[in-house]
Amino acid sequence: MSSTLHLSLACANSTASKATTTSLSPFPSDIVSSSFLHLLKVYLFLSEESPANDHIPTSALLVVVSMPRGTTSELSGVSWSYAQSSGMSAMESLRHTQKFHSTNLLSENLDQPSNSPEPSYLHVENTCSSSVCSTPDIEKKYVHRIYDAIAPHFSSTRFAKWPKVASFLNSLQPGSVILDAGCGNGKYLGLNPDCFYIGCDISPSLVEICTRKGHEVMVADAVDLPYRENFGDAAISIAVLHHLSTDSRRIKAIEELVRVVRKGGLILITVWAVEQEDKSLLTKWTPLCHKYDDEWVKSSNPPVRGNAATKLECIPELDESCRQTSSRLFAGEVESRTDKVMDGASIPCSISEGEYSSNDGLSETQQEYFVPWHLPYHRAEISGASASALESGLAKKDDKKGALVYNRYYHVFVEGELQRLVSGINNASIVDQFYDKSNWCIVLEKI
Amino acid sequence: MRLLTHNMLSSNVKGVVDGFPLRLEAEKWVEKEVELNVDFLRHIFHKIEWKALAGAARAVGYGELPDEADAAMLDAEDFLRRFHHALLEIHVEEGALVCPDTGRRFPINKGIPNMLLNEDEI
Repeated sequence: MSSTLHLSLACANSTASKATTTSLSPFPSDIVSSSFLHLLKVYLFLSEESPANDHIPTSALLVVVSMPRGTTSELSGVSWSYAQSSGMSAMESLRHTQKFHSTNLLSENLDQPSNSPEPSYLHVENTCSSSVCSTPDIEKKYVHRIYDAIAPHFSSTRFAKWPKVASFLNSLQPGSVILDAGCGNGKYLGLNPDCFYIGCDISPSLVEICTRKGHEVMVADAVDLPYRENFGDAAISIAVLHHLSTDSRRIKAIEELVRVVRKGGLILITVWAVEQEDKSLLTKWTPLCHKYDDEWVKSSNPPVRGNAATKLECIPELDESCRQTSSRLFAGEVESRTDKVMDGASIPCSISEGEYSSNDGLSETQQEYFVPWHLPYHRAEISGASASALESGLAKKDDKKGALVYNRYYHVFVEGELQRLVSGINNASIVDQFYDKSNWCIVLEKI
Repeated sequence: MRLLTHNMLSSNVKGVVDGFPLRLEAEKWVEKEVELNVDFLRHIFHKIEWKALAGAARAVGYGELPDEADAAMLDAEDFLRRFHHALLEIHVEEGALVCPDTGRRFPINKGIPNMLLNEDEI
């Protein structure tokens, strides 16, 4: 029986806009399918092994236009397994495919591969039986572990204090108890020296850095604060909520802030905006499948779409006067110097020319990203965790930049989203909300 | 960890109705001098659960706090100094905080309480 197979390798990467179509015919079906599979595997291997080459797509999709009976399942199996390993669901493969081709797809095979789970996009968030306070693997792996690994380097680049946060803290009554939930390296602790600060973070490495600076801190989860009610006069959540992977966890974290401040207490929340002032930053992030799914963390590869050759250094923070104010009231002890020397690698990199085509036909805004952190080789030794991070796939080497690349998970916020999250909380009212320096911000008052 | 922080902490282990106060088991603590601030003490006095503070102070060998206190006592300098010392100058470096309900121990190492729960405690 003669047969014709058409193989299309559709490139999700916009820099490789040419879709290659290969026709193999007429060959006996068994030869066709085996050589086909071989070619495909080589191609996929190349794609994965050469992330630095912009011209090699990181997502290759197989479209079978026509084929002899018997080869379907095998071929679609390859497509499926690749889709899985790249974090794409079969349906997303299809969407991408449809973007490039309007051919007749054997969608039943892509949709329902034998012995494979249902497409991951069908899972809605929070379908797990555990409570909202239980940390999803995506956050453990791509937030907690990352910050633990990069803590010293992260901290040495995080000293610029954001003026909006500073003015909020400076507006508070002297003697106020301020709770910082997700305090990171503690750069806001002690900012208004007439107040008392208690910080917490889920990363022990960052908390230890805070302690060395003489701050009052603990290891705790901002989604489930171990505090009694009404204790704080104010609370801040700076650049924290965007590391939580579900709506309900983001809401819970806000509810916790409200719970732990007194009536009349103010809460400042800031999160990264999708609407970045520097639009080119978005092109350097790795867009994720739009729904969180356990598959993300079980897969050895990140669940990326598009260009996985990550280029971002770090997000520039506003360079303000970075004088480390020591708390006049409470600095009974060490107030360590702040490292003001920026590493070369932490300076925002030049804008890349390439533009990621995020328009994949879906109307939703892309909000889930991996944002890379480049840990220079010479800093990597400090944490000591580099070898195991490389081994476990948590970090990748970028020899060109001389850095380990860690991916941090972000859910970046759209306009109005913070307001929506807060709207269900009945003992808090919005006293201010604004956009500033690529962040959405909201000030709440407990009522 | 200062005793002020201890006065805020509460066990949030699943099912616990009243996780406050955590019993303080102190193995090592240090004292660091802090300038006295009367306004701050007057302000925070109303937040403080006195029995918990007095109990925690005893756990670090400081028995100078009265068993009970009211706002009128803030006028006495001697009281203010003791309150100030217990609240802000004692740092627990090593030890544990114990949930009054479940007995779950939250360790304190290098002055840092670790309040994270395990999956089955959430």
